[in-house]
Amino acid sequence: MLNIGVYLEETRSELGRLLRDPALLITIAFIFGLLFLFILFPLIKVIQFSLWPYGEFTPKYFIEFFQRSYQWRPLINSLIVGALVAIFGTIIAFIYAYGIARTDIPFKGFFRLIATVPIVSPPFLIALGAILLFGNHGVITEFFKLDWDIYGLPGLVLTETLAYFPLAFMSLEGVLSKINPELEEAALDLGASKLKTFFTVTLPLATPGIASALLLTFIRSLEDFGNPIVIQGNFPVLTVQAYLAITGMYNMPLGATLAIFLLVPTLLIFTVQRYWISRKSYVTVTGRPPTGGLRATERHIKYPLLAAMILISSVVLLFYGVVLFGSFIKLWGLDNTLTLDNYRYVFSVGGQYISDTLIIALIATPIGGLLGMIIAYLVARKRFIGRGIMEFISMLNFSIPGVVVGIAYILAFNDRPLQLTGTALIIILVFIFRRMPVGIRDGIAQLQQIDPAIDEASADLGAGFYRTFRRAILPLISPAFLSGMTYLFVRCMTAISAVIFVVSADWQLLTVALLHEVDNGDLSQAAAYGYVIIGIVVVVIILMRLIMKKIFGKGLTLFAQE
Amino acid sequence: MKTARLLITLGLVVALGMVTGFTASPAKQVLHMYTALDVDEAKIYIEAFEKAYPDIEVKWVRMSAGEILARVRAEAGRPGASIWFGGPSTSHIAAAREGLLEPYKESLAWQYLPAEYKDPDGYWAGFYTGYIGFVTNKEFLEEHGVEAPTSWYDLLNPVFKGEISMAYPYTSGTAYTTLISILQALGPEKLGWDEEDIDYIRKLDAQMHHYTRAGSACVTEVGMGEVAVGIAFSHDILAKGVAKGYPVVMTFPKEGTGYEIGAVSLIKGGPEPELAKVFYDWIMSAEAQSLFKRWYRVPLNPEAELGEGVVTAAEVPVIEGFGQRIMWYGEHKDEIVAKWREITGK
Repeated sequence: MLNIGVYLEETRSELGRLLRDPALLITIAFIFGLLFLFILFPLIKVIQFSLWPYGEFTPKYFIEFFQRSYQWRPLINSLIVGALVAIFGTIIAFIYAYGIARTDIPFKGFFRLIATVPIVSPPFLIALGAILLFGNHGVITEFFKLDWDIYGLPGLVLTETLAYFPLAFMSLEGVLSKINPELEEAALDLGASKLKTFFTVTLPLATPGIASALLLTFIRSLEDFGNPIVIQGNFPVLTVQAYLAITGMYNMPLGATLAIFLLVPTLLIFTVQRYWISRKSYVTVTGRPPTGGLRATERHIKYPLLAAMILISSVVLLFYGVVLFGSFIKLWGLDNTLTLDNYRYVFSVGGQYISDTLIIALIATPIGGLLGMIIAYLVARKRFIGRGIMEFISMLNFSIPGVVVGIAYILAFNDRPLQLTGTALIIILVFIFRRMPVGIRDGIAQLQQIDPAIDEASADLGAGFYRTFRRAILPLISPAFLSGMTYLFVRCMTAISAVIFVVSADWQLLTVALLHEVDNGDLSQAAAYGYVIIGIVVVVIILMRLIMKKIFGKGLTLFAQE
Repeated sequence: MKTARLLITLGLVVALGMVTGFTASPAKQVLHMYTALDVDEAKIYIEAFEKAYPDIEVKWVRMSAGEILARVRAEAGRPGASIWFGGPSTSHIAAAREGLLEPYKESLAWQYLPAEYKDPDGYWAGFYTGYIGFVTNKEFLEEHGVEAPTSWYDLLNPVFKGEISMAYPYTSGTAYTTLISILQALGPEKLGWDEEDIDYIRKLDAQMHHYTRAGSACVTEVGMGEVAVGIAFSHDILAKGVAKGYPVVMTFPKEGTGYEIGAVSLIKGGPEPELAKVFYDWIMSAEAQSLFKRWYRVPLNPEAELGEGVVTAAEVPVIEGFGQRIMWYGEHKDEIVAKWREITGK
């Protein structure tokens, strides 16, 4: 009883505080409204369409899912691909991360740079590369006179492993670099061999990191749409089937049902990762910072490791290289004369796509960035009822497959009074609410390192919520603000899985144009689109880096959060 | 109320973005279009149209015919486009039957088109015809010492196992025309499925490398040697395969093949009904249809120029009575496709 009394008392004082600052109250209400409308409401629609398709409850589509092999088979296929990609991706990522975090090999900057390439480029450029390399007229196929078939399971595993190992690498690098070398040295000093030390000290300490890397790559593979739609062949996966159900058949209840079967495993894994593995983190705590740093690595470890890392990065370079080469080829597989025609094509025919994409990105980026910072500020600094819920909902779309978000938006906003389909607004909203969480997380993390006395001082001097936010908080967390915006912008240029459902005659995106070219078999033109996108992204990232350096004296930490 | 100011600013930024986006070219009237033609081909006609009518700007989306049908269904009553340009009449028939189209009997085309190329109630009109054929990679044929298929049953030859590509009959009008061609070729007297058809489709499915969304995609795949055989429309095979210089050969099944009547229709409730009619009449003109030679299509306007190398009915073994059956297959598209999905599991 006492607890309840205390709780009620606290609630009342919270309410009292809120009422004294109406600007804050309005902001909270407004943000809750946005989060409900653009995150929860679409998801509710998915559930509604799958179980109450015509107003009345019927489990028909769920039952059909299990009865028809062409419905459930793609889920099994997706899980198989996911498991293989997780295993291969994590192994490669571990080698890469170990080399960078735990040894003194050279060219670390170069290796790190290579790993960011797949992250900042449209996902299915790798699938395009796979066709150019290993397709029937592929460079490697022709050179070695090979007789194989890249479409289907092998192609899916290959392309997705390359596309998603960098994410696993980034999370593993973080974990491995936090392991205190003194622990390893202690084991060595006590007479354990280098190998034994690795297996009894390093590996166990890295286990939670490895587990998260496995889950992360598994989810990314499960929700991948760009690579499968290009290279799945006769091995259908769930994301593509859900897409076909919506755009090919406009069977909304079926699409919604498939979306749920995609959503459940993803959310399950995210929950496991967030609440189980992240608690088992073995960060080694000592009273003083680790000294001495890394010991020189023995040659018989260093050189094989270096060789492996060179091999991995060469493969990545090979894929992007062949796409670059392909973008200058007249007619792939037939007429290999070099030409600039494909780029001319992109800038003439695709000019509209380029400007549409840029307009959308330039609107979405500042709004998403600012909204993210406001939410971060509220969550990290203000006490109000539903604060935890606000944090949870605002991060939700990040853990939901893009295909599900796309389907949810088309179900929710295809009807009056909220008919947004066909407008630029719906594309902008998809980008903002799906990609804002990175900024929010960064913002919260930075605010936790800043003394609350600063905003208290601002409040004491009579500044309201808005003034405090703009004058005191925003300048302090501007690194998070800028990196969150850069991330959002890059994703506006490269994402396809969610937005492919909401593009229209008035508003087209570059990634969708690229996909059309691949569909049409115009691989060289597709490659040119790909490099135009990469070009824009690289320019923006370099600009942001310069700005960050100039203002804060440090570079940009991008995408390590994903 | 600083927060309010912040929110209003946010709102204004969005609104400003919308406005500048929407009124990029304020002087022009905009016509929204869904087209089933290939991007590269649609561009030819749309650019020519915009040249002929400089005050009209066409905003268009390319989708496969089945996808357009699905989209028009989903948007029933408040469509995102006013005109549906291209794709086999079967998809237009299905849409007309559900009340999704607007009749247009006043069109000039109505007067010159023979009855078999237009809807009796004016819901759609044909502007070209095209025949289902096989496209085969010559290098593959040489390598394996076989002839290009000239029968529907040749496709079941073990040498072509895992080497054939076509589109999904539910997304693609080409593939639906292929499917009904098979059903009629194997039994010209009946309509719809029988045991022989089911057996054939099951065997053909086992020969497939994969299915695509767009009907003409297989032509390039065959040209590049990704697969050996594709099933597509003659004009696409010529335009995207032969004319591009790919080592491909076009053949037709001796049992007979089917054809499409490529159609145009007005979408009911479309935002620009008058502009849509302007385009409708234009595409029916001899001037517009003379452009078809660039894509090897057979124009239906008798005054249009016929391109060189274009395949016409005289050169193709057409299934007897196919033309009279197209209407039925348009009206029963959903059941026919559902059965196909049940058999193939795709």
